[in-house]
Amino acid sequence: MNAWTSYRLQDFIPFTAEVYFRLLERMGETFWPLHLLTLGLGAAALTLALRHRPRLACLLPAPLWAFVAVAFFFQRYAALNWAGGYVGNAFIAQAVLLVVMALTGWGMDKAPRSTSPPVILGTAIALFGLIVMPLIAPLSGDSWYQAEVFGLHADPTAVTTLGLLLIMLRGFALWIAAIIPTLWLVVSGLTLQVLGSTGATVLFAILAIVLIGLVWKSIEFKR
Amino acid sequence: MNPRIKHRITRRQSLALIGATFAAMTLPTTSLFANTGGMRYKTFAGTDKQLPVIGMGTWRTFNVGNDPELLDARTEVVKAFFEHGGGLIDSSPMYGSAPDVMGYALQQLGTPESLFSAEKVWSPAGGSAREQVAELKDRWTVDHFDLVQVHNLTDWRDHLAALQEMKTEGVIRHVGITTSHGRRHREIEQIMTSEDIDFVQLTYNITHREVENRLLPLAQERGIGVIANRPYDGGSLIKHLKRRDAPLPEWANEECGCTTWADFLLKFIVSHPAITCAIPATTQVEHMRENMRAGHSPMPSADARQRMADYIESL
Repeated sequence: MNAWTSYRLQDFIPFTAEVYFRLLERMGETFWPLHLLTLGLGAAALTLALRHRPRLACLLPAPLWAFVAVAFFFQRYAALNWAGGYVGNAFIAQAVLLVVMALTGWGMDKAPRSTSPPVILGTAIALFGLIVMPLIAPLSGDSWYQAEVFGLHADPTAVTTLGLLLIMLRGFALWIAAIIPTLWLVVSGLTLQVLGSTGATVLFAILAIVLIGLVWKSIEFKR
Repeated sequence: MNPRIKHRITRRQSLALIGATFAAMTLPTTSLFANTGGMRYKTFAGTDKQLPVIGMGTWRTFNVGNDPELLDARTEVVKAFFEHGGGLIDSSPMYGSAPDVMGYALQQLGTPESLFSAEKVWSPAGGSAREQVAELKDRWTVDHFDLVQVHNLTDWRDHLAALQEMKTEGVIRHVGITTSHGRRHREIEQIMTSEDIDFVQLTYNITHREVENRLLPLAQERGIGVIANRPYDGGSLIKHLKRRDAPLPEWANEECGCTTWADFLLKFIVSHPAITCAIPATTQVEHMRENMRAGHSPMPSADARQRMADYIESL
């Protein structure tokens, strides 16, 4: 038997659904009421991005990426998956990238039109990450502590940030800044698929919309 | 009356047992199951030491991180394992926090005499084999490992040489190699032929029987113990049977006392003369009890084993 073709996706997920969802819940239990602050920062970043203050909007999510790297990946997820430390480093790299972009102004779309389709998509994605994603768990009958929140949990942090990037960046910088959040959502979507969660479909749908937004914005930029 | 023991033994089974006893008296002792109480035992690695035929795996199931609630829940699973005569527990540095969870459970329960601790060394875990074993001992809170295996043959030449040295020094008791999912069997065969190993761990279950052709006979010939992983094919086999509500054939109860699918699938594995033990993994105490009962007498004959395989194929 060919060794590589014999591997299946579940061979790379070393924990059960019970453990993963308990991990998300424990993040909520441990850090409540930090949720309010992180959601406030997310809302502020979205407002600033739409009000043509992209550099500040780019700066606000950076500490939250670093926080998720440490509190979620290094301190918790890495205990379950040896690859968790590498993902944590990637989240730190994203935090640094956002800070560098904010300080240098590289790739900033200083006057995004609110009627532009990629900006509309970006706004919708950011609102989805900030408002809808935290409500999915409670509305599914799970505990409020299982609510996945921007700035605390990896998925809504990546989703909201991708939405913000579609509003405030353009050109090559937009694609560069989208790499890490996109890759994480692919990994997370595949993980949820193995764990039998419908959340996988949600993440893949968001990724498809993000991709449309990225391509659309690139075409607009070239015009 | 407990429904699980309602049909514990029938007249037919009694006759079968008597017949089996006489038949067993004509066999060489190395091929015998040693029956001490309920659980069946087998000798291994050309020694007179014995292991219960049902061990315990920890892949996915024991990787719970530092969650206090789940740590206690897994401790209960380990407790049930030992209460039912369990011996071999297999883990790996690749299984996330599973070695730490074992350490937690052993701290809570104490380390029973029956524990046969089996670990692995693995290159991406970092450090030499010696460093990995030392770190894993701390994580398990044990003073030695009974078995250390080279995980999935990663850097097996270097690791195996180091493990052999450690065995000579008495740091570990036995050495082995592992594979799963039917991978790299040609290389496994070569190592079994050329190296002095005590155990090989491989995938063997009622739907994955390729190893019956070469590796299992070779293990018998060379006196190598065999640990069967993925006895339920990663859980999918037993889930599939339960989901489709497949009926357990009546003859399986008469032939070898199978009252559950766990009995049927595990007895098939551990009744192969080359298999030392199977290592099902579970997160639930009730499933652990079910697994352990499968290690009890009676076991299927060669004919019954063939019938079992045919039945599963017909489904």
